[in-house]
Amino acid sequence: MNGNPEGRQAATADTPGGFDPREAAQLLERTSREAGRQFSLASPLLNALSGAVLLVAYGALWLSVRGQSPYTGPNLGVIALVYTAVAVVIAASTKVYQRAMAGISGTSVRLRAAEGVAILVSFVGGSPVIQGALKEYGASATIVYGVIPAAAPLIIVGTTAAGIAATREAWPLLASSLTVVAAGIVAAFVGPVAAWLVAGIGLCIGMVVYPATEVALRRGLVASA
Amino acid sequence: MTATALDPLIHEPARLRILATLAALPEVGDSLSFTRLQQMLELTAGNLITHVRKLEDAGYLTSEKTGSGTSSRTSIGLTVHGRSALKDYAAALRDLLGGL
Repeated sequence: MNGNPEGRQAATADTPGGFDPREAAQLLERTSREAGRQFSLASPLLNALSGAVLLVAYGALWLSVRGQSPYTGPNLGVIALVYTAVAVVIAASTKVYQRAMAGISGTSVRLRAAEGVAILVSFVGGSPVIQGALKEYGASATIVYGVIPAAAPLIIVGTTAAGIAATREAWPLLASSLTVVAAGIVAAFVGPVAAWLVAGIGLCIGMVVYPATEVALRRGLVASA
Repeated sequence: MTATALDPLIHEPARLRILATLAALPEVGDSLSFTRLQQMLELTAGNLITHVRKLEDAGYLTSEKTGSGTSSRTSIGLTVHGRSALKDYAAALRDLLGGL
């Protein structure tokens, strides 16, 4: 296999002597936990940093529209900052994904690719289409450049992610997605200025909910074992 | 229940770690490259090959080689039979330790 020297270690392949069942149970538990951690796509540190980056970006959007009368929407510089922040979060998540999935082939690679396409389409296509339609039918700038772009991506991408999470029983992702959807729903009703702040806080909390749920589940499992 | 009720093929540290690692892959039907499995378990290539062969002979694992020469890659996956055997082994361990 892979041109490795076969049989070099054949003499040590079987451990001589007995293997205590208690040690076996501990080894099984430890190995499963460590492997699960290495295959996990979640990184608490990355989530915390992503939450902070998104909060700062959405905070900048909120500051840029605060006091506008009439409401005209965020300026292009701040929008560019938000897209940069999202790109940074995506790039960092991709790095974590590549590290976790290195060497893995088969079902999960195909599933993750399909899920990635679904998330991307909902992010790129969802809110802009609704904004375009509302503008076409004469909705105000408050709606087209305020409420919808702040709230709709959270609701659309959040529900897409929640659907994916529910089908594969990924509870941390489900909790995180539903938090983001809830923030989107609140953002839709607090006005065009506050919507950005609510969206930023919701995204930040959603990012932190993921590892928090993971830790809570792990503690629950350990306690029930 | 006694320790003899434990599957002797699985009741060995390296083979137990191989099966537990492959069982932790994200989805049923996934396989892992020989190289990453070796890195994760910190076994020598020869040692890993020997254990993988034994598990493969028992129908617990499948391995597939793709490519050739330096670009060749061997992927190892847990079979349904292997997953079931590991599950039975874990249950036997619980019964055994519960009775101690």
